[in-house]
Amino acid sequence: MIDAIKLRILQRDSIIQDVSTASLPKLFRGLPVIEDKPCPDGCKKCAEVCPTNAIKTEPLSIDLGLCLFCPLCEEVCPEKIIHYTNDFNLAVDKREKLIITKETKTISPEKASEKIRKYFGRSLKLRQISAGGCNGCELELNALSNVNFDMGRFGIEFVASPRHADGIVITGPLTKNMANATQICYDAVPNPKIIILFGACAISGGIFKNSEETERKFLEQNKIDLYIPGCPPHPLTFINGLLDWLDKK
Amino acid sequence: MNSLKVQNGEVFNHNEIEFLNADKFHASVLNGLSNGYRMIGLFPVDKKNPNKIVSILSDSASSSLYIIGYENKGDKLEFESFANQFPQTNYFECELAENYGYKPLYHPWLRPVRKQNIILGSQPYKFFKLDGDEVHEVAVGPIHAGVIEPGHFRFQCHGELVYHLEINLGYQHRGIESLMLNANPNQRIILSESIAGDTVIGHTSTHCNAFESLTETQINLRAQVIRSIAEELERIAMHLTGLGGIANDIGFALPASAYGRLRTLVINSLASLCGSRFGRGLFVYGGVRFDFNDENIKQIKSNLEIVKKDIEAINDFLFSSTGALIRFENTGVVSKDFAGKIGLVGTAAKACGIELDSRINFPYGAYRYFPVSPITLSTGDVFARARLRALEIDESLRFIFEQLENIPSGITTEKVGELRINSGVISIVEGWRGEIIHSAFTDEEGKIIQYKIKDPSFNNWYGLSLALRNTAISDFPLCNKSFDLSYAGHDL
Ligand code: SF4
Ligand code: SF4
Repeated sequence: MIDAIKLRILQRDSIIQDVSTASLPKLFRGLPVIEDKPCPDGCKKCAEVCPTNAIKTEPLSIDLGLCLFCPLCEEVCPEKIIHYTNDFNLAVDKREKLIITKETKTISPEKASEKIRKYFGRSLKLRQISAGGCNGCELELNALSNVNFDMGRFGIEFVASPRHADGIVITGPLTKNMANATQICYDAVPNPKIIILFGACAISGGIFKNSEETERKFLEQNKIDLYIPGCPPHPLTFINGLLDWLDKK
Repeated sequence: MNSLKVQNGEVFNHNEIEFLNADKFHASVLNGLSNGYRMIGLFPVDKKNPNKIVSILSDSASSSLYIIGYENKGDKLEFESFANQFPQTNYFECELAENYGYKPLYHPWLRPVRKQNIILGSQPYKFFKLDGDEVHEVAVGPIHAGVIEPGHFRFQCHGELVYHLEINLGYQHRGIESLMLNANPNQRIILSESIAGDTVIGHTSTHCNAFESLTETQINLRAQVIRSIAEELERIAMHLTGLGGIANDIGFALPASAYGRLRTLVINSLASLCGSRFGRGLFVYGGVRFDFNDENIKQIKSNLEIVKKDIEAINDFLFSSTGALIRFENTGVVSKDFAGKIGLVGTAAKACGIELDSRINFPYGAYRYFPVSPITLSTGDVFARARLRALEIDESLRFIFEQLENIPSGITTEKVGELRINSGVISIVEGWRGEIIHSAFTDEEGKIIQYKIKDPSFNNWYGLSLALRNTAISDFPLCNKSFDLSYAGHDL
């Protein structure tokens, strides 16, 4: 017993008290900003080097649904026009909002409907489905339950059975081999239910978007409630996105 | 044995491989296996031409790799199986059968590897079924209780006891090996980072070593040291995750959360070096993208000081608890003899007393100059697999502290040339789970014609199946966590 108490004291208080003001290392690659400067004539270096074709030029834009935050574009830009900040607030409720232009200063989700906030505002139980990613996203989703992030204190938790869940969180590009199981799992969640896409793979296929082994029909057929970009997204991106969406901040 | 002998990371001209006929191939491979070598690969040199395959055997005692070629001259793709005599080749043969339509003659039991319906034509795979009174079957997955990757587990039980477990995987299959062939260099590195997101450093390091060999690039010692520090940080972080998971699976909340807290410090150390908690973005061909400076060295040192101090108390607490030891000891046992026969690698093998660590047996990068000590245990149970990881953390900490005191000066990236033509390379790295192998081959224009990946999980899933025999089904989660295998790395 005494050892247990000693160990508990050793732990100290490692929880992140305020998730909205936490700060990340300056090298962390979060929201990119595009400076309002002209690109050199005909320069397409960033678009050419991007591994997922997330960049369009004239005018310059970055699609965070495809972006892997790899910093190649920032690295090659001769004018330092693209710069990744450590702002982790990246969650949005509409796919278009993930397109970053030089006008974009911050991005955030619109508040969920009153009905959703009434149903899920105080308790939101989620079933996670891994569908062909690399397990990086799963590691960050698991981190949400550790002593640092402790997402449970906001009433948001992962549950084992889809029947106990209010929605699903999908990671991975949705492989052919997982298409059926994903549908069965979603059907087992009672209404009303939400769908959250976590990570570049789920949102766009990410680095696997040209794979012949994926089957993304499910995503086209259903309404997506939240998009959490990143490869993998940081746990703080997920918590803050949900708290903004549920208007709990 | 008719073979081409190479070393880890040594580039060779694949025209030098002699492609034998069926009899000679069979005799050569059998000869190697009888010498105690391990099969580490069985695949065509050119993904588009299944007629010419190579079998790669490894001899860890002499750090040598032997490539034995086979040309299939008949109109049917077939070869004689080695699996009856050497069960370690079983899964490699199943994979070759599934990917290229080969028929391994006299193979004892062909099972699907990633594509559930292929081997048996269009028939769904039929699981082995136990018959008898009060025998029952339990099916779990692909979706499991936690936030965890998908896989299907089929248990044949009598009462509590598991008699047989089959594990069917492939749900994470996204075709990485095929994507590699058409990817540009930037995409290839990111694909490597995404083979197994818990082994970003391990796989990317294996990949970069392979491509640096194929382009004959020597990388600076400073970059090599940074890479191996990152590799050890990944090892510590994932061992902490695993130990936390094991404690959690026996309902022991305090050590579970204590390990979790330390892991955060370690992955944040990686983030202070390269911005990503998993080391994404760190590797480039020719070296590393980010360098050490006074600030991040100080940060990493102070984080690891805390880990070093606190982990001792946590380990003592977990491994001296009778309640924990009762669950760990003699659970999910694999004997050394058995582990050798089925070809286990990594922590699962070391826990049975097999000395096999690529950093030592097939040294690469900085480990050639700054070796690590071998660690093995002998009981092959959950206890050994857990304890071994605790011991490896200590050794990794020692390695990192030593390197941080004395980082060689130099540039962090070298210029990389063109890929050599008609060449091949076998690159091996000891990821935190064990032996990672990437083999790459180019054609006469220097285009990649084969990229084969072997995650340690490919060898070890079978070990988990067998460890479950005669074990209570309620111990499955604990056994599973003690092996801690990758679905993504297996499924590719
Ligand atoms: S950081 Fe994103 S947008 Fe830029 S090159 Fe990488 S993937 Fe493309
Ligand atoms: S988004 Fe990135 S981290 Fe997440 S599953 Fe895909 S490759 Fe892995």
